[in-house]
Amino acid sequence: MDPITLIIILLGITIGGLLVGVGVHFVPVGGAPAAMAQATGIGTGTTMLAFSSGALGLISAGFTMHDIMDGSLKSAYPTFGPAALDGTLFSISGITSNIMPILLVVVAGVVGAMIMMVILAVVANILYAFAIAVPLVSAKVKFDPITGDRQDLYVTRGTEGHGTPTVAVISSLLGGLFGGAGGALLYLAFVAGGFGALGVAGIATAAFLTIGIFFVNSVLASYNITGTIEGFHDPKFKRVPRAIIACTIASFVMGVWAIALIYLGVGVV
Amino acid sequence: MVEATLVLSLGTAALMGACATIAGAAEDLESDFGSQSNANSQVQLAPQVGYLHRYYNKAVSGEPVAYAFLCCTGAAIALALMAALKVNPVIALALGALIASLMYGVYATTAYMGRLTSQKRFGQPIYLDILYTTTPSIIAHAFIAAMAIGTFSYLMNWVLGQPFPFPILAMLWGVIVGGMGSAVGDVHYGAEREYQNKPFGMGLPAAQSGKIVQKGEAGLRNSIDVAGYCVKHGAPLTGFGLGMTVFSDSWREILFTQYWNGWGAMVAGLLLVLIWVIANRILEMWTRKTYGPYKTAED
Repeated sequence: MDPITLIIILLGITIGGLLVGVGVHFVPVGGAPAAMAQATGIGTGTTMLAFSSGALGLISAGFTMHDIMDGSLKSAYPTFGPAALDGTLFSISGITSNIMPILLVVVAGVVGAMIMMVILAVVANILYAFAIAVPLVSAKVKFDPITGDRQDLYVTRGTEGHGTPTVAVISSLLGGLFGGAGGALLYLAFVAGGFGALGVAGIATAAFLTIGIFFVNSVLASYNITGTIEGFHDPKFKRVPRAIIACTIASFVMGVWAIALIYLGVGVV
Repeated sequence: MVEATLVLSLGTAALMGACATIAGAAEDLESDFGSQSNANSQVQLAPQVGYLHRYYNKAVSGEPVAYAFLCCTGAAIALALMAALKVNPVIALALGALIASLMYGVYATTAYMGRLTSQKRFGQPIYLDILYTTTPSIIAHAFIAAMAIGTFSYLMNWVLGQPFPFPILAMLWGVIVGGMGSAVGDVHYGAEREYQNKPFGMGLPAAQSGKIVQKGEAGLRNSIDVAGYCVKHGAPLTGFGLGMTVFSDSWREILFTQYWNGWGAMVAGLLLVLIWVIANRILEMWTRKTYGPYKTAED
């Protein structure tokens, strides 16, 4: 594999990891306080919430990629499959001639992650509305930046909001957008980097490497968040630049290892 | 023949959705039995603020990680049985889920003993009758969840052609079912069942942390009472959430991939997201009108 392709794969892995790290900051994470209707957000931990959505994004991207390489979309994008298998997909000519299928795989990841995120948020809201009987409000802002609804009057005593109001749902969708795109890009980089040519074992390895890099970046981001965050309207969101630096460095280092594996002869020579 | 494939795929998606609904409900109940649901910290905190209890307390890891482990173990054992011994897939999936849930029971037991022995200094006893009666319930519900998730992961790989090997799919779906149970079902456990001593219709004030309900409908409350209550809202909604996730994601891919060179499935997915957001807005307005406001505006 030529050096420029390797560098592009390294860039893809770095950008993918970075997108995951940034995406985690958009997810309204409430943790245990949210499960007690004590804070706004979805009632589970940062890493697992981000990874749950990323997992469906990864499943969806894998599905679409399979459709393009061997399934019903093979005739629509005939050059993608061979390019992914012989390692030329991430050469400059490979990218220019396959930009649409690459975009399709990334968007598949995004849509999968968004579906997961919105169902997680809204089904929990049904429970808040009918089993706990509390309105869906945030205590971090006085007015919802999207709907303009007054928030502070609707917070029950001694709590910091409950449920996932519209602004937090929109923020979770942005989290799904970044996380899903990052996960799909990582998977694409590994499959096209030579793991795809190894058959089922290669696909499993690519999926596992993606999961690994996804976890590293979401854990780094959750250290940055420290506990709960409501989304882009939360004051804690200002900490994102630190996460950008940390996730870029971490993903770059892991990317160097990954391209070293690829260079030393995984599948494609 | 396209229609026949389509019908088969859609039928499989529906079956997968049904399996996922059962898996989600079983997962949430299992985590309620073990107090693994959020806010599990409260069960750990309770003896420290003087509230001794008879809850089963096994939350040494979050639900998503525990379920990734459980489902992946079950599916991997099933795959090994199918590949090496040519066991029928249905029997292999059941055996895999059985072995995995027994392993899970071992972890539940050690976690219960470990967590409660750490609270000896606060006077919290270890109730052996709780261990004997609740652990089998945990194993039973873990078996249902592991079997259902293993089954639909296998169907997804085998019939729908998702390229990941099915133990990896089971692991990913394990994380997702744990995330769903943790985000949805736990609210019913954490905000309502653990704190039925606060008035209905409010969140838990931070000052009340750890003061969990000790008395049940008859006698002292234990985790089996908790699951018996959460089966009304928490478990069905978790199942609904997971079933919707599995079915709607497969449905849009099966039906709409053929349009606009694959972009049809993406547009359909975004439309689904839009419908959920609109539904959420309607729900939000309804809750605001019905329950609030709690204060009058001063400005």
